[in-house]
Amino acid sequence: MILAEGISKTHRRNDGAPVHALRNVSISISAGEFVAIRGASGSGKSSLLNILGCLDRPTVGSYRLAGEDVSSYSDRSLARIRNKKIGFVFQTFQLLPRTTAVENVEIPMVYSGGRVDRRRALQALERVGLGARARHFAAELSGGEQQRVAIARALINDPALILADEPTGNLDFAASTEIMRIFKELHTDGRTIVMVTHDESIAAHAGRQIVLSDGAVIQDAAICAEAQQQ
Amino acid sequence: MKSVEQCKQGLRAVVRFRRRSVFMMAGVVIGVATLSVLNSIGENTRRDTVKRVKNMLGTFDTVMVRPGGKTRGMVSLSNVDPSLRFEDAAAIAREIAGVKQVARLQNAFDVDVTYRDQQISPAVFGVSDNWLALRGDEVEQGSFISAEDDRKMVRVAVIGSDVCKNLFPQESPIGKTIRIGGVPFEVKGVLASRGAGPAGASLDNIVIIPVSTASRRLFNRDFLTMIIAQVKDPGDSTRVAAAISQLLRERHQLAAGMLDDFNITDPKAVLAQLTKVNSTLTMTLRGVAFLAMFGGGVVIMALMTLGVSERRREIGLRRSVGANRGDILFQFLFEAFIVASLGGFFGAAASWGGVEAVAAYQKLPAVFDQESLFASIALAAVIGVVFGSYPAWKASRVDPVAALRS
Ligand SMILES: Nc1ncnc2c1ncn2[C@@H]1O[C@H](COP(=O)(O)OP(=O)(O)OP(=O)(O)O)[C@@H](O)[C@H]1O
Ligand SMILES: [Mg+2]
Repeated sequence: MILAEGISKTHRRNDGAPVHALRNVSISISAGEFVAIRGASGSGKSSLLNILGCLDRPTVGSYRLAGEDVSSYSDRSLARIRNKKIGFVFQTFQLLPRTTAVENVEIPMVYSGGRVDRRRALQALERVGLGARARHFAAELSGGEQQRVAIARALINDPALILADEPTGNLDFAASTEIMRIFKELHTDGRTIVMVTHDESIAAHAGRQIVLSDGAVIQDAAICAEAQQQ
Repeated sequence: MKSVEQCKQGLRAVVRFRRRSVFMMAGVVIGVATLSVLNSIGENTRRDTVKRVKNMLGTFDTVMVRPGGKTRGMVSLSNVDPSLRFEDAAAIAREIAGVKQVARLQNAFDVDVTYRDQQISPAVFGVSDNWLALRGDEVEQGSFISAEDDRKMVRVAVIGSDVCKNLFPQESPIGKTIRIGGVPFEVKGVLASRGAGPAGASLDNIVIIPVSTASRRLFNRDFLTMIIAQVKDPGDSTRVAAAISQLLRERHQLAAGMLDDFNITDPKAVLAQLTKVNSTLTMTLRGVAFLAMFGGGVVIMALMTLGVSERRREIGLRRSVGANRGDILFQFLFEAFIVASLGGFFGAAASWGGVEAVAAYQKLPAVFDQESLFASIALAAVIGVVFGSYPAWKASRVDPVAALRS
């Protein structure tokens, strides 16, 4: 599913100094895996996830997603991949606050080339247990509810890969448990899930852990084993 | 399909940020309203000028010949040289090719005209019978002076509508006897109202009599105050004017080098002059209106640019779920387009009232045709797209990763 080889990402700070967010990272993730990415703050987790999600490009290295080498893809092609194959879930939910839950869920469909299907959006909300809240403005929902709307949005185009960047980072224990229950369900359905988290107990839900430190993979034995399997 | 759905998203954003949308619209509304009102003032003034000149020149196919070397406004027996003779008029009719007919005029102002105990001082025009057709006037009651009236020097008069109102407020004037400078004349007809002339004075305060009667039985003058030659082809008026000039110089035995003792007005020259004055006015008004529209555009650009920085997270989110740069550009352009078009629409509606008010003030019919309505809405839409393109481009360049981090 995911094959990243020798990826480095160098950001430029405003004063022009380079920041090495990722250094020569190689990762291979098979379809259907549930992977947790851990590491200290600033270790490059989000940078890695953004590259895996085709939202950002590596400075160096190659990235194959579902067999396609996307390193050289155009803005349009990457957008299409994000739309069809990837569902993002963010720590800060990223909902449009003055827009209803169901309309938030519909947004990915806008860019799919077809009609926006209200029924499907409602079904997705029901799936995360929010059928009754569909017409509420996002700003009126609790944090846990907002994150569930975001998950419904990530699922609406039925992507094979779910990328979550600290999905429970802003939630209390009860809400976190509910979100993790949904993630496990998605995993059982056969989706590949890559989740960044600080929390060890959350990471324990995953089948595999990758630990980053200062932009490099420091727990890499399992990764190598995976890569050799392919 | 994608663009349809994107337009819906744009519309929702316009509603979601309605306060900003209203402010953006307001700029365009003011621009369009200014444009329409100024346009209407310009157009009204133009029509008005053309109408007044038409009142003076008749049907724009007439060459006017007046005595004396220079044009001095309206001629009358008291202010012209006695250089233009009745025979000159006959010669022009006889000898100049391309002349359809020639009208003669001998007029005076402030002649006492009385009926019973009423006295007024209108203009008195002695004219040939073809005057009416030549000027494009209309008789409302009775009939105009005939060729026979002129030949036989009959004492008949046709009165303007102001004179009719003043002397005959109750009764019908036809057949009544009025005294012009003490001489009795029988009223034969009443002219339809013509409104104001180029100087703004009423053209209806007039009494018209046969020119031969005027010359022999009223004023005792044997020269004319004006000859009007109607040309067969209006495009030919400049040549006819030159031919008349040459003929009159011969008849008046003016040696080469001597100045004309008459002056000729070619309608084409008058029109050209008028159009020039008018286009200067129109250009000025357009310039002001353009500035107003430009202001509306700048408002759109400023508010949208602010909007883009406020909506960075939205842009980042849209990019992350599958929007490419072009999609973002399109949505923001569409928002600018729709807001500006709506502004154009409301501006057109608002200016409707403004135009009516201006027209009422100018005492003229309102100039507000569908065409200019659609034109101003279309112009507003174009302004929206042009001035929206910078913020839309900015929006499309937002880095989604950075936007989502914020
Ligand atoms: N756009 C950017 N410009 C400059 N530096 C950046 C940029 N994005 C990330 N960085 C830097 O790159 C490093 C890795 O950042 P990243 O966001 O990937 O870390 P992280 O592991 O997700 O941290 P956190 O747990 O705090 O979210 C950090 O030092 C960060 O300051
Ligand atoms: Mg992070």
